[in-house]
Amino acid sequence: MKLSEIIEKYQCQVYTKELLREKEIKYAFCADLMSDALMVLNSVKDDRVLIDSILITGLTTNQSIRTAEMLDMEVVLIVRGKIPSLKVIELAKESNIILLSTEHTMFNTSGMMYQDGIKGIIYNQQW
Amino acid sequence: MVKEYQIIAKNYDLAGRASSDIKRTLKSLGIPWNLTKRVCAASYEAEINVVIHSVGGYATFEINDTYILLDFFDDGPGIPDIELAMLEGFSTASELDHANGFGAGMGLPNMKRSVDEMKVESDPFGTHVHLVFYRGEEHETD
Repeated sequence: MKLSEIIEKYQCQVYTKELLREKEIKYAFCADLMSDALMVLNSVKDDRVLIDSILITGLTTNQSIRTAEMLDMEVVLIVRGKIPSLKVIELAKESNIILLSTEHTMFNTSGMMYQDGIKGIIYNQQW
Repeated sequence: MVKEYQIIAKNYDLAGRASSDIKRTLKSLGIPWNLTKRVCAASYEAEINVVIHSVGGYATFEINDTYILLDFFDDGPGIPDIELAMLEGFSTASELDHANGFGAGMGLPNMKRSVDEMKVESDPFGTHVHLVFYRGEEHETD
């Protein structure tokens, strides 16, 4: 699924417009606790998988950006209509992370993406 | 190359800053992606542990031709039971830590998964976490 389609279909707000570019999203993972994201995503051995992934989270702090940065992920989607603070947006820009948000809940966002063919990343499963 | 970073207790805004710099350093040195990712995951977890559990501390990063060394030192209050802390899901993190996305109880277990060698020493006056990653042939961990 193209990033622009995700933004349009899930009515996403884009907080880092200057970083926005067209890219393919093939995989996703969702978590509110960043250690869980680190554990599962760190087991991926192919860097292209994480580059084509989206991190779905309800966490609007710096740490969701830091976690994405650690893993070389490029897109973070904040759910449940939460609004990130300016310092989080600044960190996203500095770290080259495309930061989005949607009003949908985490479950519904994940369900819709799954239906649209985006695969969930599983611990130690290589694609 | 040796670098040192100060880590401030309970400062969630700056938490991860050291690991971020380590990541950029490794990237600029052209270190393979898989090794970089292992180092960063372990470094981030260790750094967060100092932020949420200790009264503050510092980290040192060293890289040479054979290995990458990470050391995290803090000034207490120490880990009462290291074996228990190594269990996946065991956490003593506070509500405030949870609200900041921490306290999954995966810190030390995640580090263990990522490193080639790990040593944890702790008493009420401080904790020292020593992490070693070998360079050269990519070492597989799971």
